[in-house]
Amino acid sequence: MEQEIRTLREEAGQEIQRAESPEAVEAVRRRYLGKRGRLTQLLRGLGSLPPEERARVGALLNETKAWLVAQLEARAEVVRALALEHRLRAEAIDVTLPGRRPIPGRPHVLGRTIQEILEIFRSMGFEVVEGPEIETEEFNFRRLNIPEDHPARDMQDSFYLDREHLLRTQVTAVDVRVMAVRRPPLRVVSIGRCYRRDALDATHAPVFHQVDGFLVDEGVRFSDLKGVLSRFAREMWGPQTRVRFQPSYFPFTEPSAEIAVYFGGRWLEIGGCGMFHPRVLEFSGIDPERYTAFAFGLGVERPAMVRYGIGDIRLFWENDLRFLNQF
Amino acid sequence: MRVPWTWLRELVRTSDPLDPEAWVERFPMLGLGVEAVERWGDDWVFDLETTTNRPDWLGMVGIAREVAAATGGELLVPSVALEEEDPPAQTLASVTFEDPDLCYRYVARVIVEVQVGPAPRWMADRLEKCGIRSINNVVDITNYVMLELGQPLHAFDYEGILGGRIVVRAARAGERLVTLDGVERVLPEGALVIADAERPVALGGIMGGADTEIRPTSRRVLLESAWFNPVAVRRTARAVGLRTEASTRHERGGDPERVRVAAARAAELMRRYCGGRVLRGEVDVYPNPESPRVVALRYGRLRRVLGAEIPREEAEEILRRLGFDLESLEDRALVRVPSHRRDVEREEDLIEEVARLWGYDRIPETMPVAEMGVGRLPEELAREREVRETLLRGGLTEVFTLSLLHPRDLDRVRIPPDHPLRKAPRLLNPLTEEHTHLRTTLLPSLLEVLRTNRARGIPDVHIFEIGRVYFPSGEGWEERKVVGIARMGRVLLGRWNLPEEFGETTFYHLKGVLETLLEELHIPDWRLVPESAPWLHPYRAASLWIGRERIGWMGEVHPQVAEAYDLRGRAYVAEVALMPLLAHTRPPQLRPLPRYPAVDRDLAVVVREGVTAAELVEEIRRSGGPVLEAVEPFDVYTGPQVPAGHKSIAFSLRFRSPDRTLEAREVEAVLEGIRQGLRQRFGARIRGA
Repeated sequence: MEQEIRTLREEAGQEIQRAESPEAVEAVRRRYLGKRGRLTQLLRGLGSLPPEERARVGALLNETKAWLVAQLEARAEVVRALALEHRLRAEAIDVTLPGRRPIPGRPHVLGRTIQEILEIFRSMGFEVVEGPEIETEEFNFRRLNIPEDHPARDMQDSFYLDREHLLRTQVTAVDVRVMAVRRPPLRVVSIGRCYRRDALDATHAPVFHQVDGFLVDEGVRFSDLKGVLSRFAREMWGPQTRVRFQPSYFPFTEPSAEIAVYFGGRWLEIGGCGMFHPRVLEFSGIDPERYTAFAFGLGVERPAMVRYGIGDIRLFWENDLRFLNQF
Repeated sequence: MRVPWTWLRELVRTSDPLDPEAWVERFPMLGLGVEAVERWGDDWVFDLETTTNRPDWLGMVGIAREVAAATGGELLVPSVALEEEDPPAQTLASVTFEDPDLCYRYVARVIVEVQVGPAPRWMADRLEKCGIRSINNVVDITNYVMLELGQPLHAFDYEGILGGRIVVRAARAGERLVTLDGVERVLPEGALVIADAERPVALGGIMGGADTEIRPTSRRVLLESAWFNPVAVRRTARAVGLRTEASTRHERGGDPERVRVAAARAAELMRRYCGGRVLRGEVDVYPNPESPRVVALRYGRLRRVLGAEIPREEAEEILRRLGFDLESLEDRALVRVPSHRRDVEREEDLIEEVARLWGYDRIPETMPVAEMGVGRLPEELAREREVRETLLRGGLTEVFTLSLLHPRDLDRVRIPPDHPLRKAPRLLNPLTEEHTHLRTTLLPSLLEVLRTNRARGIPDVHIFEIGRVYFPSGEGWEERKVVGIARMGRVLLGRWNLPEEFGETTFYHLKGVLETLLEELHIPDWRLVPESAPWLHPYRAASLWIGRERIGWMGEVHPQVAEAYDLRGRAYVAEVALMPLLAHTRPPQLRPLPRYPAVDRDLAVVVREGVTAAELVEEIRRSGGPVLEAVEPFDVYTGPQVPAGHKSIAFSLRFRSPDRTLEAREVEAVLEGIRQGLRQRFGARIRGA
């Protein structure tokens, strides 16, 4: 019988090693350990042995059974791992095929520039407001100290809807609207579309964008204007940015200045600024002896053109996706 | 203003070496932008950009005065030592103002026995450098003095002025004049003209007439130096469509003193270079002489406004050098404004002068004294930003389109003649044919973007714009912001192994974007109602409602519109009014997380084609009661297994009670109620039941 057990052990060992699937392992288990399994049969036959052999053979059988169970479990483990490996291998894909992407959306380069500009001024305490594009002569011109015979008021330069209404020529009109209803201190920045009678070509557009801001308070100085706009320029174009203020003329500021930044190897005019003309404050019922104010108006298109190397203003308005997706 | 360097150099005496190259940078610091610099033999010619408030900068002397003031040098104004001879000019010439509003001062001189010939070489050279062609000595002298002093002059052939009588008046209806450029012009009624006793002989301040032109044979010259009403000159110049060196200067405003000086200077030059004799005295009509302005400058105010510690002595010195007279008091100065400074009216103007010459670059940079927080972004703009970001996240690219269009664009999108969107506000004075009206909808602009991209071989376009539209309202106009969306082509890139139609944009992709937007804004009570518009596919269109308000529309572009824009496929568009959207936005409120498990069931029904999913959902919700947590269609099918004219539609239903675990039989009872309701209301057949 001992010989029989050794044979069984040898055969079972081989069968287990041959089992390639969990099912095959289970079949081996049943063949040896099932109700009529070979080992089970031997165990049952134990009773027919002489008592002196029974203990020894019994111990051998039990040891063989434990060995067999351990072998089966180990094999089952291996087979499960193999099966998983098989399944995963069958699921192999070509990772070099292109991904499935939604077509991405991008902000317009002008929209993005506007947001950047507004964020910088907000960080300096400027509140954002908006105003109408269809303006009255009163707000667009008169209250900005632009006299009746000023060329800007000519039909040649501005779009009119009737004798009194026109499409605003600058966002500074919004400053006046704010000052008409609110009292200082005021620290406001506005953004929007402006219009002028220019046909669309590489450097002109009948519609353009401006950011305008002003600060009215006691003790506001020209040096504050320089400080605020210089900080803006450095936030916008980097800490090394050089800023230049040059004398200029606007009817609604006195002193007036043009602001330029050094960018890409040349000076770029980015807008006009100055101390609000006392008359502008007077028109709004603000005492120019007590309050002083500065104001500035910045173009959006031109800085964006220079910053991103855009040579033709029409690209902004054509909305060619190959253009838009670059920003 | 073209400024030859050698000429300028002649007008300034200074210890400063005055390097022309350095002045490319220095002119702008005075407010004189440098548009160009040309080398001209040994000379340099600066093309300076002058501001409209400084008529004095349209003459060499004016520029030289700035240079002298900036360098501490001395201005050398050409002196006029005029030799006059009898008889007095008054015996030959007279001047009358018919309309005192057209002209403020008119000085006439008479020069006789002139020999018309070429001007001296040096003078012709200077004119040429300044862009003016040499004609003859008489005419060149008038131009030379204009360039020198900024005062335009005109020389008439005296023989052409009937009776030697100059009449400044408004043109009468039908009057004509052949101007020096040989063009016969019908003068607009009211135009500023110089006439003799009978007829117009010049367009005042703009151009003389051919009849009174200086010719080689001319012997007697009537020289005009005037200060016209700038507005009158500008209106006349516009009306006749003629701008000249003279009109540009007159439009900016004249200097009453300069009028006289310039006449004398030109007369003297004519004596010297044309061999003429200058008749004694001038005819000078100046009915309301201007009194000099005196403006107070407070030094405290100067420092406070600029934020710069400019010493009082320096400020005074600057003003003196610019030609102002000062009376210095304790804390202020009384400043007498010279007549050439038309722009200086009040204290701020003087502050600007001091700042300008002291140097804007020397004013420090400070930050406003008041404390700064982060600037407010009004609720509405903050919400608008959210809308923008949601759409960007949703795969839409932002576009900027012009707000102007032509009614043709409205035709192209099939907006009928009586439609409200036809009320596009019209511009009184459009510049081009394409841009005559303000838009009432973004639709044509967005379709144009699709067209452009399609034409350039870009088939997949998903765009939005938040922009304004404009409507007449009462007496005036109204502007509204709208969100416009347009989609076309594929929604996915990388479609290998996917059915063709899977990657294509459908109505539901457009709707999905709107749903996301409404969800992100936490707008509770919205619905889409089937409703078409002329520009939309009649059976693939809907309007968007919030509560009782219709705030937008969406749908597939009508095939005829798609064809008009050459889209060669289906496109989807939507437009939603922004303000109502923002008005309905609510901050989200937390709903408690469910504590009990949900029970999920599917339900498939067969109904007539015309029954909408929304109607079925509504009925399911009604009969499902409070334990029905969610219902969503997941399969729609028509085909062999479904009777003709019917469709099968399957819903996934989720039941849950907030306070206990639902039992299967409870759910079954509710489901049975739902089935009942659907059968009764729609004659629905329940599938698999």
